[in-house]
Amino acid sequence: MLWQFSMHRVWCLAKFELVRLFLTKSGVMALLAFVTTWFLILYYPVNSAVDFIYSAMFKDVAKQVFGAFGLASLLKWQVPELAMYWLIAIYSFPMFALIIASDQTCSDRIRGTLRFISLRATRAEIIYGRFLGQLIINATLIAITLIAAVLIASLRDSSLFVPGAKKAGELFIELFIVVLPFIALMAFFNCFAKSSKQALVFTVLFFGILPLAIGFVGYSFSFVSQLNYLFPGMQIDQAINPKQFSYAIYAIPVIQMSAYLLLAHLLMKRSSL
Amino acid sequence: MSCLIKAQQLNKFFGSNHALCDVDFEIERGGPVALVGPNGAGKTTLFSILCGYLKPSSGSVTVFGAQPASHKNLSRLSALPQDAQLDPRFAIAQQLTFYAQLQGFSKREAHIEAERTLELVGLSEVLKEKPGSLSHGMRKRVTIAQALIGAPEIVMLDEATAGLDPKHAREVRELVASLSTDITFILSSHDLSELERLCDQVLYLEQGHLQEHQSLNAEDNLNFFTLRMEQQQPDLIAALSSLKQVNSVINSQDKEYQISVQTLSGEQPVDIEILKLCYQNKWRYRQLINGRTLENQLFNDND
Repeated sequence: MLWQFSMHRVWCLAKFELVRLFLTKSGVMALLAFVTTWFLILYYPVNSAVDFIYSAMFKDVAKQVFGAFGLASLLKWQVPELAMYWLIAIYSFPMFALIIASDQTCSDRIRGTLRFISLRATRAEIIYGRFLGQLIINATLIAITLIAAVLIASLRDSSLFVPGAKKAGELFIELFIVVLPFIALMAFFNCFAKSSKQALVFTVLFFGILPLAIGFVGYSFSFVSQLNYLFPGMQIDQAINPKQFSYAIYAIPVIQMSAYLLLAHLLMKRSSL
Repeated sequence: MSCLIKAQQLNKFFGSNHALCDVDFEIERGGPVALVGPNGAGKTTLFSILCGYLKPSSGSVTVFGAQPASHKNLSRLSALPQDAQLDPRFAIAQQLTFYAQLQGFSKREAHIEAERTLELVGLSEVLKEKPGSLSHGMRKRVTIAQALIGAPEIVMLDEATAGLDPKHAREVRELVASLSTDITFILSSHDLSELERLCDQVLYLEQGHLQEHQSLNAEDNLNFFTLRMEQQQPDLIAALSSLKQVNSVINSQDKEYQISVQTLSGEQPVDIEILKLCYQNKWRYRQLINGRTLENQLFNDND
């Protein structure tokens, strides 16, 4: 219930998530892995994006490849580094979000730590506080990578800094909205998973087997295909091409996030600690 | 006296296992309350329900007049749940400070509160340590410290002294005794002598049923003495029974006698008579206790 909600406690829980990532050994290791991965992404594909897109040799190839996927408009971006960044980030950040947010409550529940916390915060506050913490973490990571991508472009051509920063702001919002339901899905899986590894296994099965089952049943019963709205990221193919803009690109992830958080809240409320 | 906890017809099933059966009791503000029972009796289940970790299958339970998991009870009831562990990734200070902040303390106040509670359990020096570097007993005392953060009105300690060495177990008992004027403690333990020393009220659970719900200072307890001897004395029962004010004597356990008495006017106090008898017969006694021991109340009466 909202009137039972203390924003102070939600904020305390969210802040502690940040401490968990930035000030614990396991958190710093995860962060290091993330930085290394993005260093490779920024150093190779993003840094060399200009050569690839503008070189006489690859220009036609790029047009054909991007055109085949309906992404030709990305070639017209003023900052090609960000076009390449966008292509990679929109698919990789949901995966990063799933991995980073894979232990929101499960290990605390199994260890019994949640029993100490639940005497000081309601279960709803725990769910939403942890979720908020993960949102802030993901937003920080997205922002850091975007700043790095803009800096790479600006080092090549300093006049790209302003248009790059403006575009990066737009991409930040797009990516932030894309990752919302993935983090919420993890909050939901965390309510019954016994470890972060198990939560990730559930995710693999969810994205791997359920679409097949829906496709199979949907072949006979078309209404079943509406269940595809269960899958976070189902709008990504639309979102990647700005030409295909529709409000659904934003509405679908926000509705999915709300639904998964509500489910997590109800499940947490009913579960034993 | 105000009612802190009220349970009515409380039942809890785990599959076909009936862990709690129609449990009824009330706990009022005051001295520590003992929750006693053999393993598997339902003590931890009852603890978990009162803390809001578990929901009862049927019946009702209120803590401060609200549901156990209600936001109204946050920070008013705290607990040392059995087997619950602190997060091994964080220093003790970080975790206790975090808990204090959740209870509404500012960051600075929370740090002071963490130091204060650790000092209460004699562990000021482990502030910067992680739980993994502490012994089992030290970890237990740290979790007792977390239960004392702020100003809880009820503190539930499940097996608080289990695994502690005698010195620290005694310190925890002294801590409970010293704080029990402000806090109502509910203690679960297998150490009956410990509970006897600390508690005014006893809840005795057996196979999910509440067998006893009584005050240790109950009137009928005044009509008993417990005599502990250095050695088993074959003639002692007959000698004690010959005293005018003694109703009956039973050998409650090895070297221990439970004496039922009635006070007659114009006679010497019964305990003086008992001591005189020991002196005259050169029987060395170890202890003369007013009333029955908790162990005898719970087990000899139920036999």
